[in-house]
Amino acid sequence: MGLLDKILGNDEPTKKADFSDVQSGSSSTAPAPAQTSSMGANSGRTYTVVEGDSLSKIAKHQYGDANKWHAIYEANRDKIKNPDLIHPGQVFTIPDVS
Amino acid sequence: MHRRLWLIPAFAGLLAASACSKKADTAADTAATTTAAPAVQVTSVDLGPAVGADNHVTGSTDTFQPNQTVYAAVSTDGTSPNATLTARWTYQDGQVVDSSARSIAPTGPAVTEFHVSKPSGWPKGDYKVEVMLNGASVQTKSFKVK
Repeated sequence: MGLLDKILGNDEPTKKADFSDVQSGSSSTAPAPAQTSSMGANSGRTYTVVEGDSLSKIAKHQYGDANKWHAIYEANRDKIKNPDLIHPGQVFTIPDVS
Repeated sequence: MHRRLWLIPAFAGLLAASACSKKADTAADTAATTTAAPAVQVTSVDLGPAVGADNHVTGSTDTFQPNQTVYAAVSTDGTSPNATLTARWTYQDGQVVDSSARSIAPTGPAVTEFHVSKPSGWPKGDYKVEVMLNGASVQTKSFKVK
């Protein structure tokens, strides 16, 4: 079958579907859990990702410290699958950090 | 030997403390089983191209057009101070299309909607959305894009 596919030119690997532009969201009729800790509390601020942004770049801009990108990552785990891969148009919550 | 005599009351004290602690645990367990509100649970997952103000899908279906947004309305019942619902969307080849989580503190019946869209159009084929409650898979729904 492999030889037949080669002869017929059907042995090219199938192109993987690209889902990089998938957008997602959620909402609930249930209330959100109460914040119990001041660390990482929602400041109410949001930031919309633009072309060329990275989490450390946003942290540098928001906190003056690129090393605080973890705080943004943790506060937006539902939106960030890979901290090295964020997309323009994503809206991130900017938590308060001490 | 004489020097180690002090160990005896200390050991006895530890045993007594342990026994008290065990009693307290048992009492707490009993209280929990008699007074706790029903834990949150997922009662249904419905798919559709839109949701209403109550987050229930309108026009429930398992077949979508490539340009449609796919909504999964997850109905829950029960109470929890903090429960996490996750929707994990996958394509027929196993690729994870999207995974989103939402923390809720329901005090009764509630509906949480998750939605995905793809501006460039969904590849035709079979998809699944797996709904997890606090990390445990509770329901999976399949749908097609034609």
